[in-house]
Amino acid sequence: MDFSGAFTSDNLLFLLEGFYVTLKVAFISIVFSFIIGGLVGTLRFAKIPLLSKVLAVIVELVRNLPLLLIILFTYFALPELGINLSITVSAIVALTIFESAMLAEIVRGGLNSIPKGQMEAARSSGLSYVQALRLIILPQALRRMVPNLVSQFISLLKDTSLAVVIALPELLHNAKIIQAQHPSYVIPIFLIISLMYFVVNYALSLVAKRLELKHA
Amino acid sequence: MIAFEQVNKFYGDFHVLKDINLTIQDGEVVVVIGPSGSGKSTLLRCINGLETTSDGVLKVKNIQVNEKKTDINKLRRNIGMVFQHFNLYPHKTVLENITLAPINVLKQSAEEAKKTAMYYLEKVGIPDKASSFPSQLSGGQQQRVAIARGLAMKPEIMLFDEPTSALDPEMVGEVLDVMKALAKEGMTMVVVTHEMGFAKEVGDRIVFMDQGRILEEEMPVEFFENPKEERAKVFLSRILNH
Repeated sequence: MDFSGAFTSDNLLFLLEGFYVTLKVAFISIVFSFIIGGLVGTLRFAKIPLLSKVLAVIVELVRNLPLLLIILFTYFALPELGINLSITVSAIVALTIFESAMLAEIVRGGLNSIPKGQMEAARSSGLSYVQALRLIILPQALRRMVPNLVSQFISLLKDTSLAVVIALPELLHNAKIIQAQHPSYVIPIFLIISLMYFVVNYALSLVAKRLELKHA
Repeated sequence: MIAFEQVNKFYGDFHVLKDINLTIQDGEVVVVIGPSGSGKSTLLRCINGLETTSDGVLKVKNIQVNEKKTDINKLRRNIGMVFQHFNLYPHKTVLENITLAPINVLKQSAEEAKKTAMYYLEKVGIPDKASSFPSQLSGGQQQRVAIARGLAMKPEIMLFDEPTSALDPEMVGEVLDVMKALAKEGMTMVVVTHEMGFAKEVGDRIVFMDQGRILEEEMPVEFFENPKEERAKVFLSRILNH
């Protein structure tokens, strides 16, 4: 087999363009899902009557659906309801919905892991509930959450490849286009994109390890 | 200063506090003793609203604790609390532990709060630990920081929930000494403890509880020499003669 044709600059550039879309979609989804997931997890922790229950139902619903289904839903089903989103926005919305639910559970678990005495000590000193949460509970909980958060971010980055089903021009999608044109390049092309995913995700996990050591 | 009138508390079906009537005067040191599960800690935690009461009236400084329109945060500024497990903030230094509430609740400047904090750290005998983290301190030191943290709000009342129960025996003395000094200065104190020596020496009054009820309320000398209730006699003989 001759692979040499697989590594032309045109092909590599095309893959890098795909990787850029992957990173961009992942990054935007991470930012949104961190904000939404953090808020939802905190609200669930705060046990606000009704609201916390409603959020619990939504979170459980989303967490127990396949991400692929959510992606297909945002792209193919939402237009039926009069909501038309571009491919990129559909992918971001779907990933954000799913990852927010996952992150909400991580945040809630992190908050629950802080001993009750911390909240009691803070409230006893006259701090309001929100102040106690902001100054005492959240900073401690966030440190404990770092490893779980990062591994969820890594999952999200990998999950962007599912958006291949709605033809988001991300890394896997572009790799498949090259492979379709040149079936014999399948192995080298897949090796290259594996390397790209691996480098970024492994780097992230190393960062997580370092943060973990620092806070230990 | 603190007044319980016919206070009851239930956890579901469990009757934790039964018909509590108790008045604590300004500057009084009241020591609450009794077997575990007797409701001592619950009684104490009702005073600053960490526990709710089910019925009856509980007033602190003439303000009803368990009422909707009471600003509980404001009331708590006046009530310091020291816990069995210290509950220091592990992510903050000793100094930050002490200045946090004065800065965020009383809106003191960082400088002013630091000055107050150092004053109380001197008082509890560990000014050199100001920049340490709680995990670097012994249990006795941590509890003294917790006391300084409570005092920095300049409260009129201090609550102590078994403050020496989690300490190595060697470190009990240093914490009790701080509490004794505080009592001498006229602080209103409610102390739940198993330290009978402290109760005898420092207490103005002993409250003996069993199964959610106050069985006896007596001057320490009278209580320790002549306990009236059978349950108190049994408790004292078990705790003192071993």
